[in-house]
Amino acid sequence: MKVWKYVIAVWMTIVIAAGFLIYIPEIPILEQTARNIFFHVPMWMTMFVLFLISLWYSIKYLNDANLQDDVKASSAATVGVVFGICGLLTGSLWARFTWGSWWTFAEPKMNLAALALMIYVAYFVLRSAFDDRAKRAKLSAVYNIFAVTTVPFLLYIVPRQLTSLHPGADGNPAFSEITADELRFILYPAFIGFIAMGYWIYEIYTRYNILKLKAENS
Amino acid sequence: MQEDSLAIVDTLTEAYSDQWAGAPGAEEAGVFVQFMSSNDLIYVVLGVSLIIWLVLLFFLFRVDKKVAKLEEQINSNQEE
Repeated sequence: MKVWKYVIAVWMTIVIAAGFLIYIPEIPILEQTARNIFFHVPMWMTMFVLFLISLWYSIKYLNDANLQDDVKASSAATVGVVFGICGLLTGSLWARFTWGSWWTFAEPKMNLAALALMIYVAYFVLRSAFDDRAKRAKLSAVYNIFAVTTVPFLLYIVPRQLTSLHPGADGNPAFSEITADELRFILYPAFIGFIAMGYWIYEIYTRYNILKLKAENS
Repeated sequence: MQEDSLAIVDTLTEAYSDQWAGAPGAEEAGVFVQFMSSNDLIYVVLGVSLIIWLVLLFFLFRVDKKVAKLEEQINSNQEE
């Protein structure tokens, strides 16, 4: 195992512990749940990075038609969706105890995030529709390029134009001057840690899928 | 401030407000809601961490099973 994986293991352990231990200022309504920012927000960042990796390999597949690139693209999308599900579930729990409801259809960011995941579910449905590997790889690569371009609009651009309970609405960046500065000391390391974790899981899943591809071809 | 913005965006508030924990009568809420709301909501953070852990664990188990299946397949191919 490579060194960076040990580094991540230690890094993440510190981030999780520090996320619970650091002092945070008193914030009405949020109270201690302000700590959720260290866990909930990096889920979406990780998801987006994995979708970008997926986009990269989809473009690469369209250039060189190497099936291993298709495997990498679909593996990255799978792990990205896993992190997206984590983001949705954690957001839903957080909403229950701060906004008062598990889910509300009046909240744009929540619903559009679910829609973004649906677009990726459609990617896997599309993949399962083809028996021919080359055809599946080509069409899903094209679809994937469409899918990833919708994500920034659904998660960032559109919700910011609308009134919303979610931080980052009404044209504000999510982390603005109204958010306590202390949270940054853990939030940014948490971004790095979770993105690296996501990459690690993606790498393991890709190695498995490439081996499977080789086993099927031999 | 939070309550005002809630009223603007949340059309469900009127219909369901009396069922919400934040509404009057939270004391009679279920055991789960009461537990989660105790100690400045810290258990919500625990819940969020556990959700991430369980989802990743679920994924790990799935990949483990897939690898085991692939191993079986490769081993049986070699025996032939």
